Amino acid sequence: MSILEKTFTSAPGRAISRKAGLKDPPRLRRGRTWPSGAIIHGTIGDGSLVADTLHLLGRAVEEPVVDAGTDAPGYGQKIGALVVDATELTSISQLERLRALLRPAVRGIERSGRIIIVAREDHDGWEAAAAARALDGINRTVAKELRGGATSTLVWVAGDTTASDLLTTLGFALQGRSAFVDGQAWKVASTATKIDDLVTAPLAGRTVIVTGAARGIGAQIARVVARDGAEVIAVDIPPAGEQLAAVANEVGGIAIQLDITQADAGAVLAQHVAQRGRGLHGIVHNAGITRDKMLVNTDTARWESVLEVNLAAQMRINEVLLDPDTDGGLDDGGRIVGVASTSGLAGNKGQTNYAASKAGVAGLVIAMSSDLASREITVNAVAPGFIETEMTGKIPFVQREIFRRSNSLDQGGRPVDVAETISYLLDPGSQAVTGQVIRVCGQNLVGA
Amino acid sequence: MSHNAVVIGGNRIPFAKSNGPYADASNHDMLTAALDGLVARYGLSGARMGEVAAGAVLKHPSDFNLTREAVLSSALAANTPACDLQQACGTGLETTVYIANKIALGQIDSGISGGVDSTSDAPITVSDPLRRILLKASAARSAADRMKAFAQVRPRHLAPKAPSVTEPRTGLSMGEHQALTTEAWGITREEQDTIAEASHHKLAQAWEDGFFDDLVTPYLGVARDAILRPDTSVEKLAKLKPVFGGPQGTMTAGNSTALSDGAATVLLASEEWAKEHNQPILARIVDAEVAAVDHPGGADLLLGPVAAAGRMLARQGLTLDDFALVEIHEAFASTVATTLKAWNDEDYCRGLGLDGALGTIDPSILNVTGSSLAAGHPFAATGARIVPTLAKLLQERGPGSRGLISMCAAGGQGVVAILEAV
Amino acid sequence: MPADTIVLESMPSMGGAAARSLVPSRDKRARVPSSTFEVRDLVQETARLADYARVCGFTLRDTVPATWLHVLAFPLHIQALGSQDSTIRLMGAVHVANRMTMLRPVSVSERLTIGVRADNVRPHRRGALVDLVADIRSGDETVWDGVSTYLASGMTAPGDAPDGSHEPFEAVTPHARWRVPARTAKDYRRVSGDPNPIHTNRLAAKAFGFPRPIVHGMWTHARALAALEGSLGSSYSVGVDFVKPVLLPGTIGFSSSHEDGVTTADVTTKDGTKPHLRMRVEAVS
Repeated sequence: MSILEKTFTSAPGRAISRKAGLKDPPRLRRGRTWPSGAIIHGTIGDGSLVADTLHLLGRAVEEPVVDAGTDAPGYGQKIGALVVDATELTSISQLERLRALLRPAVRGIERSGRIIIVAREDHDGWEAAAAARALDGINRTVAKELRGGATSTLVWVAGDTTASDLLTTLGFALQGRSAFVDGQAWKVASTATKIDDLVTAPLAGRTVIVTGAARGIGAQIARVVARDGAEVIAVDIPPAGEQLAAVANEVGGIAIQLDITQADAGAVLAQHVAQRGRGLHGIVHNAGITRDKMLVNTDTARWESVLEVNLAAQMRINEVLLDPDTDGGLDDGGRIVGVASTSGLAGNKGQTNYAASKAGVAGLVIAMSSDLASREITVNAVAPGFIETEMTGKIPFVQREIFRRSNSLDQGGRPVDVAETISYLLDPGSQAVTGQVIRVCGQNLVGA
Repeated sequence: MSHNAVVIGGNRIPFAKSNGPYADASNHDMLTAALDGLVARYGLSGARMGEVAAGAVLKHPSDFNLTREAVLSSALAANTPACDLQQACGTGLETTVYIANKIALGQIDSGISGGVDSTSDAPITVSDPLRRILLKASAARSAADRMKAFAQVRPRHLAPKAPSVTEPRTGLSMGEHQALTTEAWGITREEQDTIAEASHHKLAQAWEDGFFDDLVTPYLGVARDAILRPDTSVEKLAKLKPVFGGPQGTMTAGNSTALSDGAATVLLASEEWAKEHNQPILARIVDAEVAAVDHPGGADLLLGPVAAAGRMLARQGLTLDDFALVEIHEAFASTVATTLKAWNDEDYCRGLGLDGALGTIDPSILNVTGSSLAAGHPFAATGARIVPTLAKLLQERGPGSRGLISMCAAGGQGVVAILEAV
Repeated sequence: MPADTIVLESMPSMGGAAARSLVPSRDKRARVPSSTFEVRDLVQETARLADYARVCGFTLRDTVPATWLHVLAFPLHIQALGSQDSTIRLMGAVHVANRMTMLRPVSVSERLTIGVRADNVRPHRRGALVDLVADIRSGDETVWDGVSTYLASGMTAPGDAPDGSHEPFEAVTPHARWRVPARTAKDYRRVSGDPNPIHTNRLAAKAFGFPRPIVHGMWTHARALAALEGSLGSSYSVGVDFVKPVLLPGTIGFSSSHEDGVTTADVTTKDGTKPHLRMRVEAVS
């Protein structure tokens, strides 16, 4: 243990750290839970998209308290969430309305409450574009100012996005499943989705492959997608077989010991899917490795192994699973979810190889999504920030403590937070979400 | 036979040397681990299977229901029945035949066979006289009678009795028996060391190729067979001192199987069940036979499989030429050599009541992924190691490919079986 | 919130603190240290786990039983109660309840960081209660936490003792009967390191009012958990109340039932009329 670590955990050290603002982090609301206080529905203009979506979600809504400018009125009791329909926002002056909605809400929001703004991404005119972009700054700043585990989310929609399209996204954002997604913005497009209900087992009867499933985040992904109804094909390297078997047996799935970098990995997976006699709904490319070194010390072996496992292998597997001639390939309407990393988006010392591979995943997702739109296959990624796992314990103490605290929620996330986000993307109801990279990082200070 | 009994697949834990990485694991622990890996591979968590049959050669008295207890500790449904069966080193194959027969008869539609052995956790028992005294004492009606019984205990009675692999009727260990056979059949040291080397090299290659990725699940951090020595060679093996057959003997620790710990299982079902449950089918169990020789009368202890194979082939109207692959359990390298010689010996075969010699096989079809010399031989597990291995190899070779399994066992017995890719 | 953390270089042996924890304190006011006692990167021993599994009835697997993690934390219980600042002693303190949560499966190959602190001293009609609160981390991830509640008879703590009434027990029909030979306590002492002589010594047992030695409550707990081996998920909370000690040698009954993801189990007298231990297991998502 380092001297610093000793100092930090000693009595005077703790007193100092408390003074420095390092309080005990808030406990986050998780799972398929709704905010306990009222859901407030505010609008800028006459948009009805949010109202219609909340209606489908079966959520009762209450009228907002609007700040008149200086009086800062309060809500009588804590509110659970504020959902603002800003789809009609076109001018700078309308942003004052948003301020007036936000001010009482931010003041009166409960622990793990939610601020959600739904707005149009496509705009007519310069001012509308500027006003929309202003929302991004507002969302990120509100997320940083919120306390007690409350989060803020901005959802971009298209002009013809329907309540059905928005349903799973708004449900996810309001529920505890999005606990560690904070200050993020992503897009819900428009599709022919016709769902009118948020179901608790959206993946029932569907097969999902999860790579790297023997432990950590991967094992948790297997559990969560199984909880959401999926039949899980759990994949990991043969030496991790014992843990893999335990995970598979726990979730009632099947275990495949497979090195995803081997040339026939995609064919092996497809063969198993074909054997099971069901289609393949989704694949979660979670398997990944790190071989950290400063670039000046990074040799070919470290470089190639990381890019091979984290990026090239999943591309080869996708190619096989997406070939319409592959028996056991991905169904039309299927799902591909990659796992990027905030390191990839923001860069991280000692991780050029890893950052390359993870940024590559983000690039891949964006490129693939448009090409696969005609087959209604969505391609998305999550980008975890600091997630508490046995791996993070290996980071040196000071760096680790800084990482962990350097986000708006003052804590590391849990594997389940990543898994919940992935399961939301796998949901058949999330058809309108594609080409997105959603950070599960508690609004980490680094990166965009 | 109204149903085809087929092999869906198998699972074992890596085998390891006695008192090695599994020194603390019991038969129960290892068999449970092998079952759980099988359940995971085939998605059987919570499933009720027709029956599970497995066994151990060295078994603690408290493990009288070893297999059933392992089932209860596994991820299988608690209402899966199980029984223990024992046929010495042939146990893993005998349990497979037992389950396959029940499937063929329509008594069950699915089942698991297997075997496990730990020479690290072998039962130590009290000597026979002491056992009798203790029984007498516990049956005594009065304290005086009890004391009288205990008064008969002598220091020599107190020495614990470790299980041995000596034949009760001859007093010779299996190695000593095989040394007699080796000499009688004129098997050279070099022949044996060549077999041992090939076993290690072929098993190592199969591991390298990922062949065992869907046949083995790691246990207690061991991911590969721990006895395997990929870098062994005839030159290195030639340096070992003989352990059987005296100073002039040709049998060494290198060309005899090591005492091993491990467990193996096989998933079997009717063809209908396999299809209905979307399970793969590797091969069907065609036939099997057990034979024995009069070893107290001087017959070669480990050549039981010769008569068994001869009668089974005759019944099926097959010859050795009809087989794509042959697996002969390597109890000792010389067992393999003598078995091959005996199959091709007209007089020996006629002496067994067969119509004549069985013939020869192409050496390239024998034990193609190595066998017990390299993998190790946890007695009861070996048969359940061979069955899925062979079934997978046959499936790779295409429908109709046949494989022959030949296993020697204590008591002068032999268990053989035929698999055929579907 | 603990005031500070005392990091021990290794798991304490049952030496000084253990000895101190056996000597009755003269001060009758219940007081415990405010420190957290922590051991980092503890290596688990497979051989000891195998021994523990055999004594308690578990199957040896790569993933360890929840109660094993309690055993790993136990020397730190002794350290906390054996510290100079503690007036509560292990000797004479009765383990009355235990709660633990397995947050995810833990492999025997993982190195663990274990922290224990004494907390929540409160009055009881027969003395004072104290919680030994433990948490176990692998890297940064909390994988297990536990609360062991001990009753220190005759000690005092400020405040009024709540009415101590147990939930009424309805007789059950045991579906298992376990014979517990006297050597069970010696076996369990070996695997747990719990040196309390009332489990193994007749005189010590008599001194505390038991006609014969009593088996460790945590053995009974482990044995009951092992009986549910097949139905435990990867993450679960298990709580037990130690109602009445099991005298050695003895024969006890076991019954369990499962409803809505909750398993309740009782270890009882062999006829099922009186409880020794009541257990409740709940899946954690």
